[in-house]
This record gives sequence, structure tokens and C-alpha cells, in this order.
Amino acid sequence: MLKKINLKNKTALITGAGKGLGKACAIALAEAGAKVILISRTKSDLNKVSKIIKKTIGSSQSFVCDVTDSNSFKEILKKIHRLDILVNNAGNNRPEHFTKVKRENMEYLTNLNMKAAFNIAQLCSQKMVKFKNRKKIGGSIIHMSSQLGKVGCEGRNVYNMNKFGVEGLARGMACELAKYNIRVNTVCPTFVETPMVKKFFKNKNFKNKMLANIPLGRVAKESDVATAVAFLAADTSEMITGTSLIVDGGWTAQ
Amino acid sequence: MGIFLKEINLKGKTALITGATKGLGRGIAIAIAQAGGNIIAVGRNQKELSSLEKIIKKLKVKYISINCDVNDYKKMKLFISGLKNLDILVNNAGTNIPEPFLNVKKSSLETILNVNTKAVFNIAQLCANHIIKLKKKTGSIINISSIFGLVAGQERTVYSMTKFGVEGLTKGMALDLAKYNIRVNSVCPNIVLTPRTRKYFANKDYNKYVKENTPMNKVVTISDVATAVTFLASEAASMITGTSIPIDGGWTAR
Repeated sequence: MLKKINLKNKTALITGAGKGLGKACAIALAEAGAKVILISRTKSDLNKVSKIIKKTIGSSQSFVCDVTDSNSFKEILKKIHRLDILVNNAGNNRPEHFTKVKRENMEYLTNLNMKAAFNIAQLCSQKMVKFKNRKKIGGSIIHMSSQLGKVGCEGRNVYNMNKFGVEGLARGMACELAKYNIRVNTVCPTFVETPMVKKFFKNKNFKNKMLANIPLGRVAKESDVATAVAFLAADTSEMITGTSLIVDGGWTAQ
Repeated sequence: MGIFLKEINLKGKTALITGATKGLGRGIAIAIAQAGGNIIAVGRNQKELSSLEKIIKKLKVKYISINCDVNDYKKMKLFISGLKNLDILVNNAGTNIPEPFLNVKKSSLETILNVNTKAVFNIAQLCANHIIKLKKKTGSIINISSIFGLVAGQERTVYSMTKFGVEGLTKGMALDLAKYNIRVNSVCPNIVLTPRTRKYFANKDYNKYVKENTPMNKVVTISDVATAVTFLASEAASMITGTSIPIDGGWTAR
């Protein structure tokens, strides 16, 4: 009756796998038995992550690549034999008040959080549907969204726009890829203990204000999010598609 | 316990499941027991409660049961307040009498409201109070909702009214119980193939209606739902509260 989070014989590609959530997802998927392919811009970060995986679980493959560079990502995909799971995680945020948002920041964030997310998802999907057993073994795509893909927040208008967009993309993709037995979902975390958030939380005022919005009274751990991603990647969620798993301690319930 | 992958493990936890004798409730009880949780089964059929006991005890966990209608507030209160252990509630008992809105009988409205709304509220309140009284450090309540808690369906006005209500209750409870670290979520399955729904699926038009509205073109199994419930019950979901997991093959994504 109870299905286990088991990714044996599956290959998963994780973008933004060098640090933070991407790193946690990569390690969690490897722990669940998947072969993982790590993508990051920073070679030294990739080395650190693959070392952890090697020490505890097994081998991984990694490629240095900026996800906004579709052409070089295409080249990487040519070197990969098989792909069952995509964790579309690479993303960033530059909080600014709406009236003060710099054009270059809007461009940068939208190119990364939306355009690259779309392109990577499309390229990986094209690769996934070609696999001849796909219908039987299924596939899973998980977009790293955010609670801010569900509700607004001050200083986060561009990020809101990007992540609401990703929520829409996930639903559209889910409808179109269902016939290949590829599921598409998002994970929507609240603030997580990552290097990116630690930087924001140096502002004590901001930290306290944000914590006050999380009914459970704590930020999420990387493992909370990575476990949710693994749950969506595995057959444990065989009939879950076109939805979001919200890991926010109750933020969006209010 | 891995580095980033948390296990779906309920060893030492005790879960009360309503409507545990048949279909979904029975599957959920078995899944929770497979994850190591002790079972308290509430149902209205002594024969089936006893046959469930045999299955659960084989899994080497504790089992107690009560033959009781969830509408019987006094009897349920006496029973719950006497429990030595309680960490998890799966508020599963529910019913449906499909009728076109214009012809909904007063008696149908009464029946569905009593079971799906009032009893769900009462049992949740009794259990939450008891978990707090037992001074548990964590708790998890899962309300069994439905896709019809998110969207409407033909001849399901009363059912939708009650299940949309359960969605609201879930979010409200999540906020009020967060300070006790009791998480509250719902699962929203598509029409699951159970003994009760078998008669609906026997109707050709109904079968077609379900398939056409499910992008994944599959029927949700009891195991799909039971796995999601067990995940939410466990510490693997320790930052997930006030939300719902649709298990619908994409029904509500469109």
C-alpha cells in the first residue's frame, strides 16, 4: 500500500546544483538511488557537491553551464544517454521596491527565472519523450517555485512575476506532457536556510518580519524542500501532476 | 535518515483514522502501519474492523478500534479523551449522494453536511485538544478532501460545498494549531477506485467523463492517496501545513 521514495535506475538532472537548494535536492535524489547530473556555473561548487555524493552515496556527473546559455546546455544534453527527472532549480532574486526596480535587474531575473526555466524544461522534455519506454516508466519535472509564486510580498514584484509565471508553466506543461506519462509539478518553499536567504536575513528587521509570517515560527530546512522534491520525483506521487507542493509552514494559508 | 532526504517513518506514532473499515480509510490505515505507526480505527462495521485488525497486527504495530458513527459526538468524545497516545488524525469518513442541484433532497443535504462537515470539524477538534493535552511535541492532521474541494463537478453541489469547507477548515486549523507544532493539511484526490465508487465507474458515461478530465488518463489508486497521507503524517513533511495535495492526474491543473 505504502510506496517508497525510490529512484533506483532513474537519472535526474538538477540545475543550480552547486549550492543551496539545488545542492540539497541533488544529494537527496542521490540518496534515493538516482544517478544525478549536476549543472552549475561554478566548477569549485560542483566539485564540492560531487565529493559529498561520492563519499556517501556514489558517483555523479557534473557540467559547468550557465542555464541562460541554451546552446551550451543543448551540447550537454547530447552527452547524456538518458533522463527521467529534471529539477529546474536555478534561480535568483534581487529584491527592490517596484518603483525602483532597475531595468537590468528585471532583465536578469526574468531571463534566469523564466526564460531559462522554460528553455531548460523544453530541452529536457524533448529528450525525455524520445526515450522509448517513457510511457511505461514515466518521468517527472519539478520546478523550484516559491511561496511567492502564490502570494505577493513587498520588494519581490519581479520575483513574484517570475514565480507566478513558473506556476502557470508547470500547469500548461502538465497538460501537454501527461500523455507521455511525464508529470510536472512545482515546490513552493518559504524562506529556507540557504546562502541566498542568509544574506537577506542579515537584516534583523526583515528576518523578524518574515518569521512572523510563518505560522510554524521557523524557516524551512534544505532537507524539507529536498524531501518534497524527492517525493514528487518518485512514483510515490504517481498521480500528482500540474500542482504545487507548498512547503511554507503555513505562510500562504493566511 | 539521510543528509537531505527525510524518511517517511512513523515508528512510535499513533494515528486515528475515521472511516477505516473500507476503501480509502482502510488503505490509509495499512499504509500508516507499514510506515511503523500504531493504528486506532474508527468504523461502523465490527466484522470489517476485526478483519482490519488481522492485517494491521501482522505489521507488528498496535491496533485498537471502536465501532462508532462519527456523528455520535458523545461516544467519540469519551473514546478520544481516553486515548493514551495520539499523534496523527486522518479525518477520512465522508459520504456523497450525487443529485442535480434542483433536486437535492433535504435529507441528502442533512446527511452529507453532518458527515463531511460537522463530524469532520468535531473529530478534528476533539483530537487536536487531546494531542495538546498529551503534550506531544508534534502532531499532524490530514483531512481527506477531494478535487471537488477545489473545483466543481456535475451533480456534486452539496459535496463541493462540504469539501470546499474542509479546505477552509484546514487552513484555519493550520493557523490556530501552528503554535503547538500540529500541522494540518488536506489531500484532494480525483475519483478513486474504491468499493463505493465502483458503481459510478460501471456507468460508461461516467467512466468516460473521468478519463476525459484526467490528463494522465489513469484512475487514482488507494495506494496513491495512502502514500501522500502517510508522507504528510510524517516528519518528512515537517514544514508543510495549511495546504492541500491534489492527487488528480492533472484534473485541477486545467
